[in-house]
Amino acid sequence: MERDSVKEPPVQADALADLRLLHLADSALPIGALAHSFGLESLTSCGMLTTRDLPDFLQTFLEEAGTMEAVFCREAFRLSAAATSENDFASRWLQLNNQLSARKPARESRAASASLGGNFLQVMLSLSDLPLARAALNASKRSASLVHHSTAFGFACSLIGFAEDRVVPVYLHQSIASLVSSCQRLLPLGQAEAARLLWNLKPAIIEAANCSAATSLEDATCFMPLLDWGAMEHPALSTRLFIS
Amino acid sequence: MASVAQNAPAISPELCAPPRLEASLTLDFARDELAGHTVLAASRQEPPLKVVRAFAVQDGAALAHLHNVSGGLLGGDRLALRVNVGAGARVQLTTTGATRIYRPRREALPATQSNEFTLHEDALLEYVPDAIIPYAGACFSQTTAIHLAPGAGIFWWEILAPGREARGESFAYDSVEMKADIGTRGQAIASERVRIVPRKRSTRSFGRLGPYRTWATFCIAQVGRSAAEWLALEHELCKQALPLTQHGETLWAVSALPAHGVMVRCVAVHGRHVLPGLQALWQMAKRRLYCCDAVPPRKAN
Repeated sequence: MERDSVKEPPVQADALADLRLLHLADSALPIGALAHSFGLESLTSCGMLTTRDLPDFLQTFLEEAGTMEAVFCREAFRLSAAATSENDFASRWLQLNNQLSARKPARESRAASASLGGNFLQVMLSLSDLPLARAALNASKRSASLVHHSTAFGFACSLIGFAEDRVVPVYLHQSIASLVSSCQRLLPLGQAEAARLLWNLKPAIIEAANCSAATSLEDATCFMPLLDWGAMEHPALSTRLFIS
Repeated sequence: MASVAQNAPAISPELCAPPRLEASLTLDFARDELAGHTVLAASRQEPPLKVVRAFAVQDGAALAHLHNVSGGLLGGDRLALRVNVGAGARVQLTTTGATRIYRPRREALPATQSNEFTLHEDALLEYVPDAIIPYAGACFSQTTAIHLAPGAGIFWWEILAPGREARGESFAYDSVEMKADIGTRGQAIASERVRIVPRKRSTRSFGRLGPYRTWATFCIAQVGRSAAEWLALEHELCKQALPLTQHGETLWAVSALPAHGVMVRCVAVHGRHVLPGLQALWQMAKRRLYCCDAVPPRKAN
């Protein structure tokens, strides 16, 4: 199936791709990433998660939820190349997102992921002419199916023409940066400490990205019961800074 | 003088190989329209899996106890359970005790258990087993597939203990993998993929279990109910779960699934707190969805 790749002169292509990828991973991209804590707010509000726990918690996040999302990100990246027709593509796209929805037991976190995913595709459509991305969004709207952030990111980045092995760590990096940003608003975590935290997590980001390359959708696991609890309990919080 | 061992005939490598056991248990339940209750219409049983009989219980349902007469799963065992619940039939399945996953021999493959439940129109299955207890060194893999036809419903839980805590064994097992897929007509309702390898990835890590040791997951589903109904049930179950939660002891949470159900999660320091909580939530959900009581299974032993 023909892809929507944006053609650029070869000399500038690499530099332009790097800049564009940086742009898409920036927390300033208007998709609403800063409005969601994905359960961290519940964990911090009851005192279960403290600043001291963050390095271990975020490392675990990358090993579990991060790796699972990275597997779905890769699968979405490969979608347009694997599809044999537009109908086949739409069917695979919907199935992939539905599979990921079923992996997310917490209602608010599932909705948060879908909000970011839908917004991300809308932003991409405003930045570049991507007919296949529009088709994906329309197919999801028609079937009332969710578009998740990891799948939207992987899929749209494949259409732009980035390399898969560059895209996945970048996706993970922006995810973890967003969580660290949430922690800055929830915990006594200063800017310098937050920067150091994110800096130190980079090897774990690479490891999670590499692990996702060797993992199938069927085998992508996630065991984070305490984060599940926090995400499922979030609707019960009386005062909330975050939507999820 | 030659030793006894030197004089003994060579033992076939096949006999030295770790024993492997493959067995399956297939149960077909059907609703007897004349009698107005569910019967075990057919079964195929291979040792060590066994069901002695189905008991008639409330509301015309049938209760069956799943026995593993070998006492548990040994390394290399491959056990399969297939259950068909006919249209309108109501079944409750439980185990006679905890599912013990024994320490395997060094060369043994993982012990595996595959479960497949097929529920036809308006059928109901309550699958309420005792905990899975992986012994030190155990390596266990379980897959569960649940297919629901329109109107069919399920109450399905799994409880994973950290090991033989009374012996001081906690997360001394090698690995536990649990996969579960619940769906209806190609639509995924819930999908879980859990792999726990305590020596590689600490369960005490805050993102995983932290100070808690027992983990339980409980899916309540019925095909065809609206999203608003599930949201209402989520709210009711959350209220019920609130007093069950004791920080530092037991945490409970409930959330609506993408469609057709809700998921309950529990982590507990002590396993004894889990079953009463599951039963309380099961009771409330059964009354709400089926307008009748959930009756915990009478244990055969």
